Amino acid sequence: MTEEERKLILESPPIGTFALMSAVIGGMVIAWLFLYYGVFLPRG
Amino acid sequence: MNDAATRKLVLSHLWVAFLAFAVACVLGEYQVLERSGFITALDSPSVYFASVSTHGVLMAFVLTTFFIMGFGYTIATTTLKQPLWNKPLAWLGFWVALVGVVLAAIPLLSGNASVLYTFYPPIVAHVAFYLGATLLVVGSWVWCAIMLVMFLQWKKAHVGEPVPLAMFATTMNALLWLWTSAGVAVEVLFQLIPWSLGWIDTIDPGLARTLFAWTLHPIVYFWLIPAYIAFYVFVPKQAGGYLFSDEMARLAFIVLAVFALPIGFHHLYMDPEQAKGWKLLHAIGTFVVALPTLVTGFTVIASLEIAGRLRGGKGLFGWILSLPWTNTMVLSVILSLLMLIFGGFGGVVNASYAMNAMVHNTAWVPGHFHLIFAGTTIIMYFAVAYYLWPILTKKPLVSNSMALLQLWTWFIGMSVLTTPWHVLGLLGQPRRISTVVYNNLLTLAWKPYEFMMIFGGLILLGSACLFVYVLAKTQFNTSSETCTDELEFAEPIHAVTSLPEWLNHFTLWNKVIAVLMAISFGYPILQFFFMDTTGSSPWGF
Repeated sequence: MTEEERKLILESPPIGTFALMSAVIGGMVIAWLFLYYGVFLPRG
Repeated sequence: MNDAATRKLVLSHLWVAFLAFAVACVLGEYQVLERSGFITALDSPSVYFASVSTHGVLMAFVLTTFFIMGFGYTIATTTLKQPLWNKPLAWLGFWVALVGVVLAAIPLLSGNASVLYTFYPPIVAHVAFYLGATLLVVGSWVWCAIMLVMFLQWKKAHVGEPVPLAMFATTMNALLWLWTSAGVAVEVLFQLIPWSLGWIDTIDPGLARTLFAWTLHPIVYFWLIPAYIAFYVFVPKQAGGYLFSDEMARLAFIVLAVFALPIGFHHLYMDPEQAKGWKLLHAIGTFVVALPTLVTGFTVIASLEIAGRLRGGKGLFGWILSLPWTNTMVLSVILSLLMLIFGGFGGVVNASYAMNAMVHNTAWVPGHFHLIFAGTTIIMYFAVAYYLWPILTKKPLVSNSMALLQLWTWFIGMSVLTTPWHVLGLLGQPRRISTVVYNNLLTLAWKPYEFMMIFGGLILLGSACLFVYVLAKTQFNTSSETCTDELEFAEPIHAVTSLPEWLNHFTLWNKVIAVLMAISFGYPILQFFFMDTTGSSPWGF
């Protein structure tokens, strides 16, 4: 790996992390909504 | 870390922690077996509750406290590059805590402290249990004092320099623990000990529960912060990269410590002694404390992404496969984060003011805290142990592949144990039961999940035995091969040369904590002295 490639990696935004975190947070919101509307409310 | 005396001190702490852990794992497997009712010879509510109490004390108080103390001494001496301040005092703290554990163990094992390792009257333990728990906490306060003194001494000698991140977080944890333990200390000293000795006839359980709520949530962060320290200061280096941001890490530790404290009433959502407005205030704070966990998740994953890309990983997720999965620290953090996602989601459900009613006092709750504590947190304790052992014993780890197998089996076992536990909670199984005596369709539907939990517990027990075996085999290996490794800390991408004082000291945050605690616990505690709640005075006098 050249020094330029290395520098590019260190200075680039962590797009994979953004994608993963978005997926995790999105998944949590969906799961929460499912539990709230799909399980909690129907139980009265 | 070349000081043999400090290494001995640290190893002594860690061995107490891990032996307690091993015993607790045996008890845990017994408990899932007993509760399932599959082996009728095991049925015994008294033995079951003695076991649950001992399991909880060993895991939540002994393993954690001794590990955190030993780890803290390691961090302080290596990051500050100075000898341990007052070694005799550190040993005194160790022995006081250990005597406390032995003292508490006597009533626990004889069935006279089956109080489920919590401090909730009206169930009461033999006074030896409370005295033992007090000594354990006093021993840990000695550790807190040593951490604070070493931090302040270093600050005085290095004016304007950033305190190393690991030491900053460790001292923050010591400060957090001093605040955290104050609630239960007051409850034990002024309510439970006088009551268990028969000096007073009655106490106000509402006040006791409020004081325990003071301690009950931040104690979780006291246990978790060492795992987060490993996330930030060991993982990026072990993965072959850099820490994404030192400042972000400090901010996460500050928010964790500050907001972990004034939020304990989410444990009291169903309790009558506190008004709903106070509970709502604590509920909002509970969601605030989720933020540093998200920041931590982001920073650690970003650090791993950098490492993966530096190792040749390409594409949006290709870097994940480029990570060194055979490194115990890296594997642990990946498995830990996976468990944190699911455990964190369970925590969000618990914290949701209305939805809490659905899972309150059900099997969901122990499922949740096993996933977060025994999963996310303890797997990082394993990683730290595997990393420290060669440095502390000066001998190479006996088998990296055995360590990897242990980590995988712990992850699999924890998943197999806690998934049905959560489902059982949603199916309505109460927690804190020793057996299911009814034989109807509802309870019969629980059986397959109970069976899965036994299987998960067995995997975990095997994994725990393997963990202790690897450590013992490494330390007592007669091979002449020596290890000269030193502790390596991750460098941030952008080196930190100076920091504002609020990111480098605790004076401001200590005041903020004091104000927040006064707001969130001031009136809720004082009210017990203003109104006649149950006919018993707050302290029972």
